[in-house]
Amino acid sequence: MGIENLAEKAQILIRSRLCSPNFIFKPLSDSSDSNYSKLKFIISSSIMEACNNSILLLGPRGSGKVAVLELVLSDLLEEYPDTITVIRLNGLLHSEDNSALKEIARQLCMEHHLLFSKMASFDDNSQFMIAMLRECGLAHKTVIFALDEFDLFAQGKQRLLYSLLDAMQTVTSQAVVVGVSCRLDADQLLEKRVRSRFSHRKLLFLPPSKEDVQRLLEHILSLPMDSSLACDYAAEFNEKLQSILADKRFKEIISNYLNSNSTTNHLLRFLFIAISNMELKSGFLSLENFKAALSSIQRQPKQECIKDCSILELYILVCMKRLEVREQNSYNFSSVMKEYKSVHDSFPTSDYYAQNVCLRAFEHLLQRELICFTDNRGHSQSIEFRQVKLVVSYAELQEGLKSYRSCPAILLKLIDR
Amino acid sequence: MRLMVIRVQRRCVKPSDFVNFLRGDLTSVIEKLKSLKKVGPNKSAGKPNGNMLYLIFDNLELIREWDKSSTALSFMFNLYDVLKMHELGLIFISNTSPDTYYSNMGYTEHVPVYFPEYTEDDLRQILMRNQPNRKLYSSFLDVVLRPFCRTTRRVDELSTAFSPLFRKYCEPLSDLASVPNEEMKRRLFSHFRPHIAPSLNEIFWVPSKSSTEAETNKDTTRKGSTRKSEVGDHFAQIDFHMSTSAKYLLISAFLASRNPATLDASLFDSTGGSDSRKRKRKASEKSIEQKEVAEQELLMKGPGTFPLERLLAIFQCITSAADSFDEDEHENDDLRAGGDGGLMSDVLLQLSSLCNANFIIKGGSCPLEGSTRYRSTVSEDLALKVARSLKFPLPNYLYRR
Repeated sequence: MGIENLAEKAQILIRSRLCSPNFIFKPLSDSSDSNYSKLKFIISSSIMEACNNSILLLGPRGSGKVAVLELVLSDLLEEYPDTITVIRLNGLLHSEDNSALKEIARQLCMEHHLLFSKMASFDDNSQFMIAMLRECGLAHKTVIFALDEFDLFAQGKQRLLYSLLDAMQTVTSQAVVVGVSCRLDADQLLEKRVRSRFSHRKLLFLPPSKEDVQRLLEHILSLPMDSSLACDYAAEFNEKLQSILADKRFKEIISNYLNSNSTTNHLLRFLFIAISNMELKSGFLSLENFKAALSSIQRQPKQECIKDCSILELYILVCMKRLEVREQNSYNFSSVMKEYKSVHDSFPTSDYYAQNVCLRAFEHLLQRELICFTDNRGHSQSIEFRQVKLVVSYAELQEGLKSYRSCPAILLKLIDR
Repeated sequence: MRLMVIRVQRRCVKPSDFVNFLRGDLTSVIEKLKSLKKVGPNKSAGKPNGNMLYLIFDNLELIREWDKSSTALSFMFNLYDVLKMHELGLIFISNTSPDTYYSNMGYTEHVPVYFPEYTEDDLRQILMRNQPNRKLYSSFLDVVLRPFCRTTRRVDELSTAFSPLFRKYCEPLSDLASVPNEEMKRRLFSHFRPHIAPSLNEIFWVPSKSSTEAETNKDTTRKGSTRKSEVGDHFAQIDFHMSTSAKYLLISAFLASRNPATLDASLFDSTGGSDSRKRKRKASEKSIEQKEVAEQELLMKGPGTFPLERLLAIFQCITSAADSFDEDEHENDDLRAGGDGGLMSDVLLQLSSLCNANFIIKGGSCPLEGSTRYRSTVSEDLALKVARSLKFPLPNYLYRR
């Protein structure tokens, strides 16, 4: 097999690893101190002891909370077949009590092969849920409620949370409520009566330490020796990989990247782009792949927008900046045109265009969101008279003009004043 | 890749229903794809080996103007995690950069793919496609591309501007398939040159029949700089088929938006004429300053709003003034026909058609009475042209003139 073929297979293998959370978070299950083990212990003990429980998983977005939860649930479903029912709710979809209960009823019906009626009312669904909880409790089956975006359920009157937790306390039920939230103060959002019924168990998902990151990189990027890939290719790949990982520049790239957001998901995205950059001809990863990935993720969007502007649009931006510097805080397109005319009067160039052409350039800037309207009153005035302001900062504008290819010298002079 | 057209129409209001329907539909589509896939011999490593379904969302920035835009956007961005289908891919197309979608809740980042605006070389390549005579078009682009790129870099706007210009460029050529040499290029350029500057200042020029006739009859020795005003004259003469009463209504609206209401009494006295005698006062230093400040304010606020009554009052004044000025014009019969009642209904009909044409827009309601107010959107140039066609002395009525 040619080296390109092997490289492609390696690429596919690594990319599929990056896309499956099971693979990423499996190594955590080995340590007994990890969140995975703790969560598994709590849920399995409440299954075995036939009691109710509730727990919150908290951590920044992308730390792997839902991934770990899914891992635990899939493991438990294997260990205790036919004794667990999982109901999944999401705060983005089901924060309203009606739709939440409807979804709970629907999922319960699906699990237990019952017919679900879409016409059922809120009370019907609520009674059904309580009845099912009692039945499951009597049959020693546990119902696990996984509430994603838990903080959204805590908005409003929290009827769903209260009815759920209340049902768990009054009826002989075996239920575990697992809340997942990105807000670290999610438990403070609960009302008093809900909080009293909720246990104060919290599991914090912290971003990985430097050693963890290193271990994760090796775990993901190293090719296995026993797969369909040729042994010597895999060995050479891993050797080159080790040299990259040990390289000081690589460590700098990684720490620079993780400075802004050190969650696992963020790192995985970076690795995905780096792997996609791998040159198939050479067949191996190189430091350049990671550098290119870094520059393609870390962008300066406003600078790119400025680079995309035409020269007339740059003139308009510079005129707006001059108006703002003169502390004319509310101005519109007509004032900008006046400034444009005065600039042209003092420095005559060939870049003096008619109002309709300037208005078109103005509309382009609005579309790209380099400028925006300050009023939200609606559209009772035409564009020329609505107040506008710059959305890009002066430093960015200056930087953009300096790096603009063939920027007219007059603009650079004007922006420096 | 296989392309299937599936039309599904369902009505759902809640996001939870949407997700359930979507999941069901997507699963059925994927099943269908799997069944259609031919079970062939061993595939080579390079061939794709799965089924992917891509949901493409275009013009994503419009979601930000929806009512519950923050939850809608978080919902869209998290759709992959909500659906948990491996065969699903999401592609978002947006005209604005990713930083305009940052929110303090529910923002997940995606892999960005940036499409920069075309450079001049890219534009040249794009515009040269499908051209029958590439060398000729290339010499044309040498002349026009750079100056036009200074105003806009969009392909659609440039190609709209270039097609009539190319026709003009090729005018002296008898054979459009010929390859121009240096001498020919110079000749073409010198013929074409006076047309470049005026066309830079036009956005969209639709040649109408009478204007093209006038062009051919025009004296060819006129300078290019006057071309714009010639087009303007044609414009006023062409007049886009407005009836006389509509023209008067347009002028009344312009005056009502432009002048403050307090001046109406002095401008439109009972005889309907303007009393210009009062205005010729010696301008003192202070009043000049005040006038400049007023001018600045006018520039800032734009056209003002006016109620319907004021519009009709001004309309009646100037039409009666027009009556007194041109008594022997036969147009007055149209205005007077049907008596006062007929004139009124005609005016309201004209008003609604002017509103539809966006010459007059609704500007918000009066805070006290709740009746709608209107605003005129025509520019001073257009109002002057319309007034000139009616031989109406508009400058006499304008405030600050």
